[in-house]
Amino acid sequence: MNKKTEAKVDDLIAGLWKKGLPSLRERLDLLDRAAAEASAGAIAEATRAEAHSIAHKLAGNLGMFGYPQGSEVASKIEHICKAPTPEGLASLAALAKQLRKSLAPDI
Amino acid sequence: MRRILIIDDEDDIREVAALSLEATAGWQILTANSGAAGIEIATTEQPDAILMDVMMPEVDGPTTFRIMQENPTIAHIPVLLLTAKVQGVDQRRFAGLGVNGILFKPFDPLTLAQQISDILGWKVGSPDPLPPLPSS
Repeated sequence: MNKKTEAKVDDLIAGLWKKGLPSLRERLDLLDRAAAEASAGAIAEATRAEAHSIAHKLAGNLGMFGYPQGSEVASKIEHICKAPTPEGLASLAALAKQLRKSLAPDI
Repeated sequence: MRRILIIDDEDDIREVAALSLEATAGWQILTANSGAAGIEIATTEQPDAILMDVMMPEVDGPTTFRIMQENPTIAHIPVLLLTAKVQGVDQRRFAGLGVNGILFKPFDPLTLAQQISDILGWKVGSPDPLPPLPSS
């Protein structure tokens, strides 16, 4: 692949990333709420299910935008929300924070 | 020109895959956001291959694939599953369905076309293969 095509793809993806930032922020806010509920010891089933769905999507797409570490952290959150354990739920807040950090400076 | 149908409920995946395949391979891209919509488009448009997400609401990828296999008008179209799951057991389960290949998310937009081509034995940027000569 020539450099021109590579640059074109990079530009297009950068545009999609910028376009999707408001939606991404909403998703991260939801993960923060799920983590807060989990830390308080009472995560609602609907919140857990939504956090699982969002984490699954982020695990699948952050890497294509150049954030492989974000995908890895989201994957950990996905697995915790899929089969929650007390230890896993207790780590959600730290993982949610780590996820935001991995997306800096955009987030 | 190759025509690829992307079936995924996630907008970002459809958009990134579409633009990367168009830009890097010059393929024409069709998209659907559900298995049901994908079956409809595959039937009417007859794409050269289908790239389909595993986890979708309502009808998931493996179920959509089984439905496609029961439809003789689209059963011949190669299907590649797109999944975020990387466990060996999942790979074997999906391969056991009879799909042509499995690709993992997140994918690299710059090499996605090459990955698809490698699995399907296509040369990136090449025209469609010539039809077989009629037997004499």
